[in-house]
Amino acid sequence: MFIKKNGNHDYEVAVIGGGHAGCEAALVSSRMGYRTVLVTIGLHDIARMPCNPAIGGLAKGQLVREIDALGGEMGICIDETGIQFRMLNRAKGPAVWSPRAQADKSGYHRRMLEALRTGDRLDLLEGEVTGLVVERGCVAGINTAGGNRITACKVILALGTFPNGLMHIGEESFPGGREGEPPSGLLSDQIAELGIERKRLKTGTPARLGRGSIDFSRCVEQRGDEEPSPFSFRTERIEQDQVSCYITYTNEGTHEIIRSSLDRSPLYAGRIKGIGPRYCPSIEDKVVRFPDRGRHQLFLEPEGLETDEIYINGLSTSLPRDVQERMIRSVKSLESARIIRHGYAIEYDFFPPHQIYPTYESRAIGGLYFAGQVNGTSGYEEAAAQGLMAGINACLAIKGERPFVLGRHEAYIGVLTDDLITKDIDEPYRMFTSRAEHRLLLRQDNADERLMKYGVRFGLQPKRAWEEVVERRKKVSRAHRRLAKERVPAAASNKILGSCGEKKTEAPQQAAKLLQRPRVNIDALEGALPGGGLGLGRRERESLEIRVKYEGYIRRQRNLADRVVRLDRMRIPRDFDFDISSLSSEAREKLKLHRPVTLGQASRISGVRTSDISVLMVFVEREKRKGESLRG
Amino acid sequence: MDADTIVALSTPPGESGIAVIRISGARALSILNSLAPGFSDNVPRHIQKTVLVDRANEAIDDCMCVCMKGPDSYTGEDMVELSCHGSMQVVSDIIDEAVFLGARGAGAGEFTRRAFVNGKIDLSQAEAVADLISAETKLQRQVALEHLEGGLSRKVMAVEDRLLEQLALVEVSIDFAEEEIEAYAPESVRAEAVRIAEEVKELAESERAGRKLRAGIKVTILGPRNVGKSMLYNGLLGEERAIVSAHPGTTRDLLRERIHIGGFTFFLEDTAGIAETGCEIEAKGISLGRRSAEMADLVLFVLDGSGELPGDAAAEIERIGPGRTLCVLNKSDLGLKLNPESVAGELGVSGSVSISALTGEGLDGLKERIYEKGVSRETAAISRERIAVNARQAVAFRDALGALERLQKLLGENAPAEIVSMEIRAAADACGSVTGRNVTGGLLDLIFGRFCIGK
Repeated sequence: MFIKKNGNHDYEVAVIGGGHAGCEAALVSSRMGYRTVLVTIGLHDIARMPCNPAIGGLAKGQLVREIDALGGEMGICIDETGIQFRMLNRAKGPAVWSPRAQADKSGYHRRMLEALRTGDRLDLLEGEVTGLVVERGCVAGINTAGGNRITACKVILALGTFPNGLMHIGEESFPGGREGEPPSGLLSDQIAELGIERKRLKTGTPARLGRGSIDFSRCVEQRGDEEPSPFSFRTERIEQDQVSCYITYTNEGTHEIIRSSLDRSPLYAGRIKGIGPRYCPSIEDKVVRFPDRGRHQLFLEPEGLETDEIYINGLSTSLPRDVQERMIRSVKSLESARIIRHGYAIEYDFFPPHQIYPTYESRAIGGLYFAGQVNGTSGYEEAAAQGLMAGINACLAIKGERPFVLGRHEAYIGVLTDDLITKDIDEPYRMFTSRAEHRLLLRQDNADERLMKYGVRFGLQPKRAWEEVVERRKKVSRAHRRLAKERVPAAASNKILGSCGEKKTEAPQQAAKLLQRPRVNIDALEGALPGGGLGLGRRERESLEIRVKYEGYIRRQRNLADRVVRLDRMRIPRDFDFDISSLSSEAREKLKLHRPVTLGQASRISGVRTSDISVLMVFVEREKRKGESLRG
Repeated sequence: MDADTIVALSTPPGESGIAVIRISGARALSILNSLAPGFSDNVPRHIQKTVLVDRANEAIDDCMCVCMKGPDSYTGEDMVELSCHGSMQVVSDIIDEAVFLGARGAGAGEFTRRAFVNGKIDLSQAEAVADLISAETKLQRQVALEHLEGGLSRKVMAVEDRLLEQLALVEVSIDFAEEEIEAYAPESVRAEAVRIAEEVKELAESERAGRKLRAGIKVTILGPRNVGKSMLYNGLLGEERAIVSAHPGTTRDLLRERIHIGGFTFFLEDTAGIAETGCEIEAKGISLGRRSAEMADLVLFVLDGSGELPGDAAAEIERIGPGRTLCVLNKSDLGLKLNPESVAGELGVSGSVSISALTGEGLDGLKERIYEKGVSRETAAISRERIAVNARQAVAFRDALGALERLQKLLGENAPAEIVSMEIRAAADACGSVTGRNVTGGLLDLIFGRFCIGK
């Protein structure tokens, strides 16, 4: 099974776990030229979606576009296996549009497995990892259940919810990594013994129903977009047919069933200790916390084309099986629903991410990387993004090159990384657009303009792809200059304004000014341009329209971002001593815990004040000058 | 490394002969050239006396200016030092202008920190520099706390909370578009933005009002002839400034002197007694007195408490405005015939005090009332806390106000949510820079607490 050995190691990179983080990590490291092994409990586990059958959504869709621009797999994979595509937030401005797709779960799994199988320099290995090999503070390989030792320079941990997983359904609690899977405890225990702090989190999933047992005719149908937008910049168009989702609602009867069974809920009986996500509460939580709501919305989403299973989005629960059945059957259209699998809550270990560098490498153990739920995040997209970044950085470290850390102003991935290392993670972390202070810059439409150059630099994207981006940007800039100069005669302006329901004008209008009116779009404008059509493709027109409409706002956010970047560029040495008496005591403790690597990161840690940053600046400068005088 | 230009008062705050303001950074010289159009050539280390002007080209102060070119300066950057007159109003006007021209208020120890980072201070002094920063921080916080405790900070935080509420409404519609949550109504957000803007405006303006208070409060002593106005005047001043005699109509001219009560300056004016008179000079004096009362922040209407209430007193007070009038019943040493409370009620004035200017009885109490009425009256709601709104805070409030005004316009145009949100954030962040709170950091907590989210 083993391909050629590299020096003393079997592999350069070993990835543990075949979920969304593990897959991206393994693919990227093999594509960057390093022999890679992905170890997973079973190949049937590759790229599974244990919760909702969907990729993307608000802010998450942007993450997928970014993963794709950098050369990751998730975007292409969902483009080929998605069964319903929607661009969310279309009613709002393009900065907050987010692509989302319903996935064919097993199709997605097969497509990802195929990518892994056909990848060069990449081996897949089935088996349980029982421990890490650590030598002189650095990871050197892994031990597997059969007593095998695999040596590797870098190890990426992408364990998902498996570490000491404990599942709850009503009064039943049993160890498990997810439905029907055993947990893994040995590895987590060993990591804790190595001195890495470990905590518990909780998440949950709803029941799955049989398609044939649901009366869809009494639900509201939710269809995909007429013209589906792909996730990947490499996908020309989405060809496959789309299926529908359906909407129904709980009612007072449902809520009464839940209320009268709360004493049997592991959540309310106090048996669940981990903290669950507030943005994704169980139905029992919703009923208790919002007693005035007469109903809650439920989405019935197919888990795939070949399977009968329907996912009930909005009904996550850990109530006993009999309560789940009564509760579900009280819902309109689900009166005779057949439950294929019950909902459950799961508690699992994670390793608070203040213990990693922004490269995802552990601060305690050299060469060991953490990605995905082990860092306390939730979501397939968040996991994939981390896997990709951990993989890239593991490779760069082998090469001896500078780490790759994205800024908050560059990408949602940058926001994610920075939040993980500077914030206290006390519930599963999910991305929201409101977490990004430079939201107008981080759009789904410009992920390629922001990031593809890095993909090219790491050999993950063809050079041509970036050249095309640059070419397109030039064309858009030229057209933008034209719109700023050209004037549309009053009569023609009024025709546009009239047809768009905007106020009329007396004088000729600058074309760009016309387009800035909220209801005027580029199609309406183009026909009236005295200089003739713009000669732009669909994407170019879109990005021109965004540029014109957001002009001023985008500039403002850039200026704000520039100020932040200044502090982000000021590096703190890795062995820096934060025990400085003139720091406030709260700042000192927080800085010692999080150990930021730039002053920008330090400034975002809660409890660190502006004056603390000033003090840090002085000491960082002293270290720098000391270093210079030693070298000089 | 430090891209921006900073400004700060380098001498201790408070009234003094001379105050020194320093500006450091890339824009220091251009700020100087705008502030001091008469400053010529930018020759380093040459002191020039020149007039500083504000954005409306009005003179602020006559000032000694010197500039230094980096790296030959304390911080190693281009620097400007302005020695101006040590009045807080002048200092705050100059800093205000420098900020308007692109500087920002310096953080604690920032000049020294920059000097260190730019290699102007020896490596071994890093600890000393850091200690200086933290000492200055403590001092600033003490001062800030003194000012922020109570009124101001509560008010600003309330504004922040209200902004955050609106932000949550808008953000929830963006990040949870798939949820069953009612879209925000632009009209109601706009209405709230208008209300918040009013409060922020008041906060921003309280700086000017505060400055006016610091410049002095005008108190006029008015009343009929021979009730002892001049004796009261002397009593309050603590010196024999006005000629006092038993002869009615002794005072004909307007007398003006300054007294200090509770750290504030009051300009006290003694006027000619009001009476029907054929004397041209006296009539002129009386009209001067009435004019003085019209302009005054507070009028002390003096009556002879041992006599009867004159029939025309009510009409006179009505003319001045009873709201800013304090009735003083003098000659309590002769035994009072008038009851202070019933007089106050009858005349509708805001208060009434009995004193004896002759013996000094009741003068301290009167001073307290003058302070109370003068300081809190002049600008109705201005309390001590609000006076603390300094130039830097006022800049923050004006920024917030700008954002709120743009917000109102955007909401009127049905602008998209992500733009609306940007302006609410800008306003909240500006307020947050006064209280030191990371306002928008609490956004998700508010959203999760308030809305039923969870698809």
